[in-house]
Amino acid sequence: MGMLAWVMLGLAIWHYTIFLPDRFWGGIVGALLGALAGSVISGLVIYGVKVGALAIPGEKTTDVGVVLYAVPGALLGLAAIYALGVMRGEQVQTV
Amino acid sequence: MNDRRRNVFVLLLVAGLLIASLFVIVTMPTKLGLDLKGGVQLIYQAKPTAQAKVDSESIGRSIEIMRKRVDQLGVAEPEIQQTGEREISVALPDVSNAQRAQNEVGKTAQLYFYDWEPNVIGPEGKPAPEDASVTGGENAGSATSGISEYQAVERALKRPPILRKNSTTWTPPQGKTPGCTPEQKDGCLYGSWYLIEPKHERVLCPTVGKEKVCAPAETKEALYADGYKPPKGAITKAVRVNPGTVLVQARPVENAEGKKLVESPNKWYVLNDDPVLTGSDITNPVQGFNEGNGGNGAPNVSFGFTGYGKEVFEKVTKEIAHRGQEAQLPGVSKEAAQQHFAVVLDGQLITVPSIDFSEYPEGIDASNGSQISGGFTLTSAQELASELQSGALPIRLDLISRSQVSATLGKQALQQALVALLVGFLVVCVFLLAFYRVLGAIAVGGLLIYGIYFFALIKLIPITMTLPGIAGLILTIGVAADANIVIFERVKEEIRGGRSVVAGIATGYRKGFAAIVDANVVTFMTAFILFALATAEVKGFAFTLGIGTLVSLFTAVLATQAALGVMSTTGVVTHPRALGAAKLGRRWTFDFMGHAKWFFSLSGTILLIGALAIGAKGINLGIDFKAGTRIQTGFVKPVTTAEISEELSSLGVHGATIQRFSNASVGGTGYQIATRTLHPEQLTKVEDGLQSAFGLKHFSEKSIGPTFGQAVAKSAVIAIIASLLVISAYIALRFEWKYAVPVLIALMHDLLITAGVYALTGREVTTATVAALLTILGYSLYDTIIVFDRVRENVPRMPRAAFSQIVNRSMSEVLTRSLATSFCTLLPVTALLLFGGETLQDFAFALIVGIASGAYSSIFIASPVLTQWKEREPVYRARRARLIAEHGEVPAYALVAGGKMEDVEPAKRPRRTRRGSLVAPEEAGEQISKEEFDELVRDLDIDNKPKSAAADVEPPPPAPAPKRAPEPQPEPAPLVDPTADLTPEDLVLKDAPKKTTRKNRNRRHGRPR
Repeated sequence: MGMLAWVMLGLAIWHYTIFLPDRFWGGIVGALLGALAGSVISGLVIYGVKVGALAIPGEKTTDVGVVLYAVPGALLGLAAIYALGVMRGEQVQTV
Repeated sequence: MNDRRRNVFVLLLVAGLLIASLFVIVTMPTKLGLDLKGGVQLIYQAKPTAQAKVDSESIGRSIEIMRKRVDQLGVAEPEIQQTGEREISVALPDVSNAQRAQNEVGKTAQLYFYDWEPNVIGPEGKPAPEDASVTGGENAGSATSGISEYQAVERALKRPPILRKNSTTWTPPQGKTPGCTPEQKDGCLYGSWYLIEPKHERVLCPTVGKEKVCAPAETKEALYADGYKPPKGAITKAVRVNPGTVLVQARPVENAEGKKLVESPNKWYVLNDDPVLTGSDITNPVQGFNEGNGGNGAPNVSFGFTGYGKEVFEKVTKEIAHRGQEAQLPGVSKEAAQQHFAVVLDGQLITVPSIDFSEYPEGIDASNGSQISGGFTLTSAQELASELQSGALPIRLDLISRSQVSATLGKQALQQALVALLVGFLVVCVFLLAFYRVLGAIAVGGLLIYGIYFFALIKLIPITMTLPGIAGLILTIGVAADANIVIFERVKEEIRGGRSVVAGIATGYRKGFAAIVDANVVTFMTAFILFALATAEVKGFAFTLGIGTLVSLFTAVLATQAALGVMSTTGVVTHPRALGAAKLGRRWTFDFMGHAKWFFSLSGTILLIGALAIGAKGINLGIDFKAGTRIQTGFVKPVTTAEISEELSSLGVHGATIQRFSNASVGGTGYQIATRTLHPEQLTKVEDGLQSAFGLKHFSEKSIGPTFGQAVAKSAVIAIIASLLVISAYIALRFEWKYAVPVLIALMHDLLITAGVYALTGREVTTATVAALLTILGYSLYDTIIVFDRVRENVPRMPRAAFSQIVNRSMSEVLTRSLATSFCTLLPVTALLLFGGETLQDFAFALIVGIASGAYSSIFIASPVLTQWKEREPVYRARRARLIAEHGEVPAYALVAGGKMEDVEPAKRPRRTRRGSLVAPEEAGEQISKEEFDELVRDLDIDNKPKSAAADVEPPPPAPAPKRAPEPQPEPAPLVDPTADLTPEDLVLKDAPKKTTRKNRNRRHGRPR
């Protein structure tokens, strides 16, 4: 359940990248991968630190707080992909 | 074959099939599933035994045996099938006693014969054949001797592992598979597990349902199956009795008349697990009576032996007789010296007869078979004989799901489903007629034919109609209508573009067909995956969806095209007004791509809310996933939920959730009771208890074990992943790989939004929901494919446009049909939601959310993502740069002089004849040859038209292959000439005299007049 919520949150945050200049490495799809990977990793790490083991929260242990564990990871993932794009000289594209 | 002949042929074929279908419908019966006519469904999960591993052979053999047992139950039209890797589903229509059915069908009784004295283990953990306190002496195997189960376990724990091929608790090497090791990989057998509580010297029951007798578990995990928790404060220990040693329960306690006083005494013996014969070594078991010398007339079971069985039986009884002779020392009575032979059924001794060594000094001749007697009632003797007749199941079968539907509820569900089907069909017909007039009438005709064909197929195959199957059927009505809408919109577009009615129809069908095939192939593939991986309940849905998609392709495309073709050439349909194409169609001018960011934001917000809702409220997973029992019942007496709860508590069922509901079949008010998984014995107890307390009008139940829930969830995840992969591969092949990625993102979007909606609304997620979600995977692509197909078509027509302009134009062209197809599919699904029963409403809700989300994501998610990605390609970067340089921005639409859309007729690929010469392309809809066309052009004097226009009319030159337009290209000449978009058939059918056409056709066929 926690994984589902993290993926949803990562995807939700990715939607707002359309307001940013498209300098992501791999474009909008690269941004998606960054957001999803970031949200899942961040969720796993923060929840893992909390419970002391690498685990995916189940139905009963998933609450709003657990869902929000994905936010920093998604943002960091996006930032990393953006930075990579800038370094590789991706040009600004706007529709 | 020319078009007219082909159309006539297709119509004749349709008519012939129609007659055949009507014949099938009238003469063959419809097979209804359990949910529509009541009955019992049992789902078993196969587990390995010492004798066999779980593979297709052992499952197939089990199914055969189960079928024989069901036949003995006298059940008409049972369905027994493998539904998963290890699951077997048994559907028994019209059976009302679920308990009896379960007892009969899934019984895995194993019969073993042991030489008694050498195998009974004494306190030292070794056989003690001469110790009567261990063997029972004259009372061998009875409850008067023996030890408690706890003591037996302790005694057995002293035994080392002994690995024998005939052991009942060890999986020996089979083929290349090595024998089982203590790790018990894949759940193979290595001894038996017990949960003991040393403080109170007792063995705890690993399963909730079996209260008195604790069967050993095969694995340590199985000790805690079904959520079993030891009593509070109990210090327990899981122990394993090594392979080679088994515990057997003493014989039932009987009185002098042979009546059982204690069925399961707590007296046990520890045996060296070395059976000499098994149930498979006996033949022709029949129930009889003990009527021989000294016979008491009690029921018994007599049987013969196989060749091997006979040989072993004679050898063993001879050994036993010899041992008896040796044991008869001076002062020892004959009875005390006699040795025994034990028969063990399902871990309990049935009989332990002695071998009279004076009567049979050389053993018993097995030529005339043998008998098992002692403690049988007539019924139990019949049951054992029957079981031995059909054979013991080679593998163990654990019941993981049991559901019982009363005939009343089934009948009502069928009525609701038929009403939903009828209403769905009617509203789709009304919509088609109102929107497409004559075309709509033809589509309705196509739908009717589709319905008849489909019903005939259901009877012919035969397909067992279930509620999910009807849901699939209703959905395919929408799919069939969608195919017509896509084509009709295309036909109207062609006619509005200046083509004649006939040419518009031909071109519309030709151009629309590719998109229809793509969309239907994807739906079919999803249905196939669903069928292959889903649970039995969902298979019906997948099957009808798959078959319906194929049939609809024939009726909605080929049949309607033939009908329209014949009507247009015979003068029935001659004016565009008849097709709703007289007025200029609405052309959307919205800047879809320019506003995409706002739609993205909307989607993002919905997903955000959905994710938070999952955190706050969770997803309400039904018992299909979590395990539990759901009972639907109606009472004779008026009762309150508190009274029901009290009664359930007195029956040992605590914490049940009880909801009232209105249902005509249960006399107005019914109750739904949800509780933890109740075992069959408990369910029977609950049913009896409620019956005596309040009087039952109706009782339906569904029990799901945790294993089944896990299997359902696993198969759903696999099905979703498989669908996504297959869909991506197909899109990548049919379009290009860059088109597959937006499709995947859009699908993910649809699934997650649906999950979010379920979290927000708190609706229960069932297996039906999963099936609907998987269908959404296939169906929501319908719109995406329509849009992408048009994008693909427009790319070569707009060689100077930015990709966003191409997509904007494509969207503006297909938005109406996208909205129409979604609306048309939503109509029958809404009927399902309004008029269907509980199961159908589950499907309908998920489908409505998915279809709406799918339509939205096709337009506002998939297309913008594709645009963003394609705009990064150098060719589109260059175009964008040029446009910005020219206009200061990228206009929403690529317009040329006169405000018309940029439109360049793409170069057509020349086609080779059989002889290898290049000729002008002959597309579907072209009615004449190139020579005819040239002649007509000369006749009509359109050679003098402006060159740019003529270039559009003329077929492309034969030799050069199509080239990619160089960047940048000169502006094409404005398309101002009315004949610019004409193709040969327009000229023929609009203006050319009929006579000329016929003449030319004849000439083409080489029959000069």
